Amino acid sequence: MNLYLLAPEISLCALAIVVILLDLFIGRKWILGVVAVAGLIVPAAFTLALWGVNETSFNGMLVVDQFSLFFKLFFLVIAALVILSSTDYSFKFSAFRGEYYALVLLSAMGMMLMASTRELISIYIAVELTGISLYVLAGFLKDPKSSEAGLKYLLLGAVASAVLLYGMAMVFGLSGTTHLNEIAASIPAGGLLANPALLMGIVLLVAGFGFKIAAVPFQMWVPDVYEGAPTPITAYLSVASKAAGFAVILRVFYEALGPLSLDWGIIFAVLAAITMTLGNVVAIAQTNIKRMLAYSSIAHAGYLMMGLAAVSTLDPGALGPSGPGALVFFLAAYALTNLGAFIAIIAISNKIDSDEISDYSGMARRAPILSLALLFCLISLIGIPPTAGFIAKIYIFTAAVDYGLIWLVIIAVINTVISAYYYLRVARVMYLGTPLSEERVPSSWALRAALAFACLGVLFLGLYPWALLRIAETAVSIFP
Amino acid sequence: MLENFGYIGIFLIAALGFAISTITLPILLRRFHIVPKKPNPVKSSTYECGMDTVGKSRVQFNFRYYFYALLFVVFDIQVVFLYPWAVALGELKLFGFLEMLAFFSILIVGFLYAWRKGVLEWK
Repeated sequence: MNLYLLAPEISLCALAIVVILLDLFIGRKWILGVVAVAGLIVPAAFTLALWGVNETSFNGMLVVDQFSLFFKLFFLVIAALVILSSTDYSFKFSAFRGEYYALVLLSAMGMMLMASTRELISIYIAVELTGISLYVLAGFLKDPKSSEAGLKYLLLGAVASAVLLYGMAMVFGLSGTTHLNEIAASIPAGGLLANPALLMGIVLLVAGFGFKIAAVPFQMWVPDVYEGAPTPITAYLSVASKAAGFAVILRVFYEALGPLSLDWGIIFAVLAAITMTLGNVVAIAQTNIKRMLAYSSIAHAGYLMMGLAAVSTLDPGALGPSGPGALVFFLAAYALTNLGAFIAIIAISNKIDSDEISDYSGMARRAPILSLALLFCLISLIGIPPTAGFIAKIYIFTAAVDYGLIWLVIIAVINTVISAYYYLRVARVMYLGTPLSEERVPSSWALRAALAFACLGVLFLGLYPWALLRIAETAVSIFP
Repeated sequence: MLENFGYIGIFLIAALGFAISTITLPILLRRFHIVPKKPNPVKSSTYECGMDTVGKSRVQFNFRYYFYALLFVVFDIQVVFLYPWAVALGELKLFGFLEMLAFFSILIVGFLYAWRKGVLEWK
């Protein structure tokens, strides 16, 4: 047992405790946000110091490799951006700021554990640690919509956990072990059709994890929860929670169920096609921008699942990156883009106290920089150059073509065209509509810094994607 | 694998047999007049050897008990962990001691939190 391998998580937990204690004993609450963001440097430094290590600990339950370290850093950066963007929002729950920051940190810790466990029960505990913090955060505002969001997320999340556990029990029953690498060794020959119980186990696992990543048909909670939850938490859910789900899926399906990749690859391909189509088509009808981005997040879960469907093959003639590599790159690009969009929305909604798209009319004149940032992020969500979204889509489509999923790529391209309609509608309202008032939209320096980081990141990845792609490929190179 | 499920099958049969026999045996004994039927008010009361109930069963508790219940659960779990730890402390040595100290300090943060938030005051 080597505690140093767990140093990022331990330091993050300690940071959350420090935030709670500070909240109890100091009067000036703005210090909490500063401590929470500045303190994230410690776990991030530990993560960077561990880079290159490839070891397991705690009887093989915890694994530290490039994949888990990449995701740890990823979650820490997102947590920092979410906390920064919360500074303009926290007046709505000023009495509970300490709890809010602590819960954000604790759920980030759960996500970090999700990315670095290779044992089913530890995965389940990490999923719950993330989930329970997020259930509370979703219901953090005391209005009916937020309470509805929290309760809905809690109940549906509990059902999803039960399904996930049932799937794990099935897999455990057939293999006699909860360690992913040992499960892989004990998968019976003859494919899934000869082993209906294993098929059922896999389907249940897909359902349980599908809830986390908001894949159709497990997406019912997404619009209501995203609309009701505090906007920074909506951003957090749509980015970090989804990424953690994909990290766990990659880990479980490649390490434990790798021999069956032909079978689950097709499951993910079909789910991807349904998910992106439903998400994009329903998003057209939305009038609330948070609901619209919720459906957009469902649609993006579909694009992301293409990376799961395009199972990595060691084909030297491949045109582009491997499926998982493209998936990890897409996650990073999507994270920055979506965070940027939500941060702009936080600032604008604070001023106009509404999330309706029609109230954004003429926003370009009231908040030129925020509107430009939002437009830039929406363009990246469509996938137009020179943004990260464009490169990410190119990579993931290429990976799918390499794997022979031409039909899926055609559906995805059609979906991209559909999505342009509803993203650009927001841009039209902002730039061509008449302003409802002439008042400027204020924003704090913390929020501006987070927005600038996100937008510059989107631009940087759009112009110079190779560095991150190389890191992404290194991260997923641990999978056979 | 199948043998293990066989044990479960035996338990299942035994459990079902017990349940069925305890329900049907008194009925059968009564039907064949082996057991006489002589009711009296004490016998047919709800709790033959307990107190008679008073009032409605739907009593409203003060909401504050909820916080005490929550705190109780936390410290209950602490005690549950303490017993096996105390038994095995000789083998766990210093590491086990420090680990329990870390666990305690986290729980104490929770207790401090409840205290500072005024949960322990009965206003």
